[in-house]
Amino acid sequence: MRVHVPIAICFLAGLFMLVQFFVPHHLGVVYYEELQAWTRIVIAFTMVLGISSLIRTHWEKIRRRRQDWGYSVVTLVSFIAMVTIGAARGSEKGSPFMWAFDSVFNPLDATMFSLLAFFMASAAYRTFRARTPEATVLLLTAVIVMLGRVPLGDMMVQHGAYGIWAGLLFLCIAWAAFPWCAARFGRGTAWALGVALMLVPVALLVVSAHLRGMPISGATEWIMNTPAVGAKRGILFGVALGSIATSLRIIFGIERSHLGGH
Amino acid sequence: MTMMRKARLVIGIFAALATAQSWAAGLPAPTGLSVTPDPEDDEGTALILKWTAPESPPPAGFTLAGYAVEHRQDAPTPAVRLYEKLLGQKVPDPAKTEVAKFVKGTDKTETNVKNLDPWPSPMHYFSVSAVYLPEGAAWEVDEKANKLTTKGEQEAATPEVGPVQPVGKWYNPDRTNVAATAAIYTIVVILALIFARRRDMYIRPIAGLQAVDDAIGRATEMGKPLLFVSGLTGIGDVPTIAAMLILGHLARRAAPYETPILAPCNDPMVMSVTREIVRESYTEAGRPDAYQPENIYFVTDSQFGYVAAVDGLMLREKPAANFYMGYFFAESLILAETGNEAGAIQIAGTDADTQLPFFITSCDYTLMGEELYAAGAYLSRDPVLLAQLKGQDIGKAIIGLMLIVSTAIASIAIFHSGVVPRFVEWFNTK
Repeated sequence: MRVHVPIAICFLAGLFMLVQFFVPHHLGVVYYEELQAWTRIVIAFTMVLGISSLIRTHWEKIRRRRQDWGYSVVTLVSFIAMVTIGAARGSEKGSPFMWAFDSVFNPLDATMFSLLAFFMASAAYRTFRARTPEATVLLLTAVIVMLGRVPLGDMMVQHGAYGIWAGLLFLCIAWAAFPWCAARFGRGTAWALGVALMLVPVALLVVSAHLRGMPISGATEWIMNTPAVGAKRGILFGVALGSIATSLRIIFGIERSHLGGH
Repeated sequence: MTMMRKARLVIGIFAALATAQSWAAGLPAPTGLSVTPDPEDDEGTALILKWTAPESPPPAGFTLAGYAVEHRQDAPTPAVRLYEKLLGQKVPDPAKTEVAKFVKGTDKTETNVKNLDPWPSPMHYFSVSAVYLPEGAAWEVDEKANKLTTKGEQEAATPEVGPVQPVGKWYNPDRTNVAATAAIYTIVVILALIFARRRDMYIRPIAGLQAVDDAIGRATEMGKPLLFVSGLTGIGDVPTIAAMLILGHLARRAAPYETPILAPCNDPMVMSVTREIVRESYTEAGRPDAYQPENIYFVTDSQFGYVAAVDGLMLREKPAANFYMGYFFAESLILAETGNEAGAIQIAGTDADTQLPFFITSCDYTLMGEELYAAGAYLSRDPVLLAQLKGQDIGKAIIGLMLIVSTAIASIAIFHSGVVPRFVEWFNTK
């Protein structure tokens, strides 16, 4: 009973959603919206579960004086303060709750998000090392795309002088990085990297001439819209089929992990 | 006689008197009112009204300024009332005639009435009144009250037409392509299932899944926990369910060694399911005593609040292996880079194509797109699941073939008009 009733509900709801996609009639729309409303209500109830878990976890941490239990105190105090302020003074614009939300929560949220820029730099540094032919292609593509996203890229291909300046800049980078690369990867690899680096502005000029004046941003757009989208669609086909297969398994009760079993 | 019938009779008498009054005043009414379903109305909530303008000229001192469409509907039956109450819809006033809309000008003798209560609600009745204004008076309508406010106006109505009901459509023919594709795919999966029972199927090795056991072994040797992050979507989303399958396998393998699994959740429902799956896996492995529910807990539903908590956990607890399975957004790189910094083996699996590059960059193994869905079959070796996996592969082959054929046909369609473009158009999803 504990398993069969949820499976039956799941089957009926899944079948309805499947059929509803092909039925434009008002009844289909009304019931679809109704089910969506039920989902929202169920989600609201699960928040009670979440809050009780949050309080229990952090209270246990404080009670047993586990490592870094001070953070749990901050969490619980913040939680209780926000709930109290919200319940007492409401959450309208200009209320203390919204002030705390805008002045404390939002900046903290934005801080975490901004970390992404630094992580992206460190990930790019690790990835764009031309160790294999595939990684070299990735590196060159990334350089073109990155240059295409900043004004310097178009300047380089449109004005020869900027190209020379950029070439000199790359030469300086190669000069500065050579001893470190030689120590780490050996002199042969360091030379190969240096030459590859120097070839980048030359390659950009050649490509731009070949594309008859198309700016580097155009090449970037082409990379993003043609090969990248092709690869992405290949992945999406697989995802769609996998998703349909999993959904069918759930509707027909073959897949039961969402019920807490397997 | 019931109250309802009495009310209808009174309304009928009033309507007859009003009509008689307008006829007595010598105002010509429109004729030939017809009500038909709107062919463009898919939902079944609209009707089209057509009528003929009054044949006689307006009386002296008046001009025909437009029309008022009047509507009433039967009182709902108790069954309909119950149905509407269950759905929380407003129950309409029985038999009350109201102006549905005004049509300004005399050149238009056709209009549609939208947002009507559809089947199985009661029947609808319509009449159209010609609106006469004193010469020189302007057409003024109070939009909020849906009322003509020009003083001295006179109306002459057609006899009421009804009962009528909007029809709507029970099938959207624009989605036949989706239905056909879904049917073909379902047949392919069923066929694969039949063949799977007859002979063994080869599944190509997936490095990310082969590394799961290595990761558990590493954690056991180091005496450190495993961290499992099931994405940022709810239990109703397919990637989260696929992640739960992998978690079940992980828990069954980790249970005999008492390797703790930390699973901070950002959705209370996912937390409940995660707890249940881990508990059952530990029971299946014969170690229900080793299950620690406090290791699976709700953090917050805020995206970056959750990331901050998980990052902190990684740096404090230093898990030996991190698993990121499910659907991720911008937090993917922050999580994976922090895990990398903490020195953990990292295995990710997502169908979020925008986040895949970040996981490939920062994790040791990445399950790309469909591999996440294949994980359940790969790990369990269940014949039904393996058959579905084969079905997926055949489906992909069919799509590949269709792409080649469609590209050729689309290229021909540039030069030939007629059947070929219609064939290409058929593939467009609406």
